[in-house]
Amino acid sequence: MNIHKECIATLLAGGQGSRLLVLTEKTAKPAVPFGGKYRIIDFPISNCVHSGIDTVGILTQYQPLELNDYIGNGQPWGLNLNRGGVHVLPPYAQIDKSEWYKGTANAIYQNIAFIERYHPEHVLILSGDHIYKMDYSEMLEAHKQNGAECTIAVRNVPIDEASRFGIMTADEEGRITKFEEKPKKPESTLASMGVYIFKWDVLHRYLCEDEANPDSDNDFGKNIIPSMLRDKCALYAYSFDSYWKDVGTIESLWEANMDLLNLRDAIDLRDPDFRIYSRNEAYPSSFISPESVIRNANIAEGCDIHGTIENSIVSTGCTVEAGATVSNSVLMPGARVCAGASVSYAIIGEDATVAENSSIGEAPEVHGDGWGIAVLGRDKSTEAGEILPAAYVR
Amino acid sequence: MTVSNRMTGIIFSNMYDECFGELTKIRTAASLPFGGRYRQIDFILSNFTNAGISRVGIVTKYNYSSLMDHIGNSQEWDLNNKDGGLVFLPPFGSGKSDVYRGKLEALSNALNFLARCPEDYVVLSDANILCNIDLREVLANHIHSACDVTVVTMRAKESDGSIQSLVLDTTDGRVDTILTNYPAVAGQSVGLGIYILSRQFLLGIVRRYVAAGRTHFEADFLQRGFNNGSLTVNLWEHEGEVLFNLDIPSFFRNNLRLCDAALRKDLFNENRPIYTKVRDEVPSLYNEGCEISNCTVADGCLLSGSATDSVLFRGVTIGRGAKVTSSILMQDCIIEDGAVVENCILDKNVRITAGTQLRGSRNNPMIVKKGETI
Repeated sequence: MNIHKECIATLLAGGQGSRLLVLTEKTAKPAVPFGGKYRIIDFPISNCVHSGIDTVGILTQYQPLELNDYIGNGQPWGLNLNRGGVHVLPPYAQIDKSEWYKGTANAIYQNIAFIERYHPEHVLILSGDHIYKMDYSEMLEAHKQNGAECTIAVRNVPIDEASRFGIMTADEEGRITKFEEKPKKPESTLASMGVYIFKWDVLHRYLCEDEANPDSDNDFGKNIIPSMLRDKCALYAYSFDSYWKDVGTIESLWEANMDLLNLRDAIDLRDPDFRIYSRNEAYPSSFISPESVIRNANIAEGCDIHGTIENSIVSTGCTVEAGATVSNSVLMPGARVCAGASVSYAIIGEDATVAENSSIGEAPEVHGDGWGIAVLGRDKSTEAGEILPAAYVR
Repeated sequence: MTVSNRMTGIIFSNMYDECFGELTKIRTAASLPFGGRYRQIDFILSNFTNAGISRVGIVTKYNYSSLMDHIGNSQEWDLNNKDGGLVFLPPFGSGKSDVYRGKLEALSNALNFLARCPEDYVVLSDANILCNIDLREVLANHIHSACDVTVVTMRAKESDGSIQSLVLDTTDGRVDTILTNYPAVAGQSVGLGIYILSRQFLLGIVRRYVAAGRTHFEADFLQRGFNNGSLTVNLWEHEGEVLFNLDIPSFFRNNLRLCDAALRKDLFNENRPIYTKVRDEVPSLYNEGCEISNCTVADGCLLSGSATDSVLFRGVTIGRGAKVTSSILMQDCIIEDGAVVENCILDKNVRITAGTQLRGSRNNPMIVKKGETI
């Protein structure tokens, strides 16, 4: 059977996400919960669906169990298709060798056979650590109109953050003239969002060349893009100005959650024409007791709320007992805050327990220097009466 | 896998349509919304799924488009399988007759389906009596009893008031008398509309009884057969919570009872979840200034006003200064700023305009039809 798809997507989900500390101890970063009922990976997958891209390969190698389970047959995203659909692609042993994904480019290289099954003209490359809503079909249109061999989605970032990103320089037509991965002294503020569209035949060639070079890091930013620039390939920047947030660190993950409450128009999850799909568990409605007080909060299904909740995200299946206070925090699915406990500027992991009369996290103005978001990892708990300060991680 | 000791599930979706007045004009009793995110049928369907039942027939007569829309391809209940699955059993022919005169007549339309099932047993159920029950236990007990039919019951409590249903008088767990459509008093066993019997036996009964013009399962088959000694009846007493949604007042009361923690814990047993259609809603947003007290709240709500002792379905909006008390607000209802809603059942997509006041009474809630603006 010959299947021809104009554009298919591959999602790089193999990173360990070590900057998310305990939150990725047992979970791949793309499977980290977000926004009350979602996981980070729901965003790029839903974007694909809304962009008319129905074939998505998810490249995974670190803690894949949960991600595999979560993606399943792709039915929550409408991607359980006979031709196309979502596929989880771990590294596998081959006749002459077997190896882990060495880098982002190598991960795609190892899955050339998967991509070629669909005979695509273009391949969209995504990463699994950003929260944003984007119609990739508009980017693909620009890519085709420019006759580009590669198009990189970019946005302006503050200059002091620029050295965290791939930074590029482009001419008036948007053609990229220079690209530097995480430069120490950035020349511009045009940052790569980690969203690329390549002409497949061109990328195929560069992947093979890159693989043949034993000195290469097999990385898109460090190797593939610079090689293509050197060879005067047609690389274009595509500007994206809407909400976009890297959630690769504890601080940014917390901020992105808070943005759901405080930047509601920027990242509107209620838009009926652009819903973010996710795998839904069978929870009943939440119960809000007479003694509870709720101010500015998102509360998902299956919660049992008796305490006070302020400026917080409360995920599916959470319990907040009477006399407990949760403020400026994120409770991940199944978290429990026991009677009299206090959670402030903290992320409480899946099924974690904040024991009776214990407290975790502090407001920045209370703590002063060295302040940070406190984190309680998945399945972890505090001791009754224990006081854990800001930036504490367990 | 062997199919002996397994059950086919049959649900009667239209049987109680006339009991819910305005609410079932456009839908079956089975697809009547309940408890914030469910339809009544979700409870028995989930009981089936949780008991490993993989083949389900839904007997329908009319008005079943909302039911079909809700069930979809039945994958939420894991019933889109190849070895089994879910089928609708609408009537054959022109359907000029008004309603089924009874379950036996309804089943006579499903004879082909029943004859083809490989399972040894059939569980029959209504959709409007809600509970969370392990049907595997009931089947094991039925087989052990060696009786012809097992009736699932509960023991009526003082607090249940009078439930008009199948009532069984017993001595030492043995059935003495069967009363149909009888108001139960505390201590009596009340039928939950769930029956287990062997498939071959049921096939014979349906063929013979319908041919003889006897169409009612409870009166013509169960009661008569028991009384003339030709039928042995086993009784399984369900000890968990049961919600009898028999009319609008009981439907109203039972929705509001979901604020009871013990009831919720039993009905939404963690080990036996109740599944429903996924709607991909966002978590509910509680704005600064909202006052929500003693409510069950589904997802997708946008809450700025106050709600007390109420059930808020998916996607409900309550505006600033609006006040909702002891009411059921079905999916996507909008209560505009300053409106007052008390003792009401608002069907789906109802809009109460700013400042409007709507009051029903506890025993006679005001009902607003689907899609109306007031």
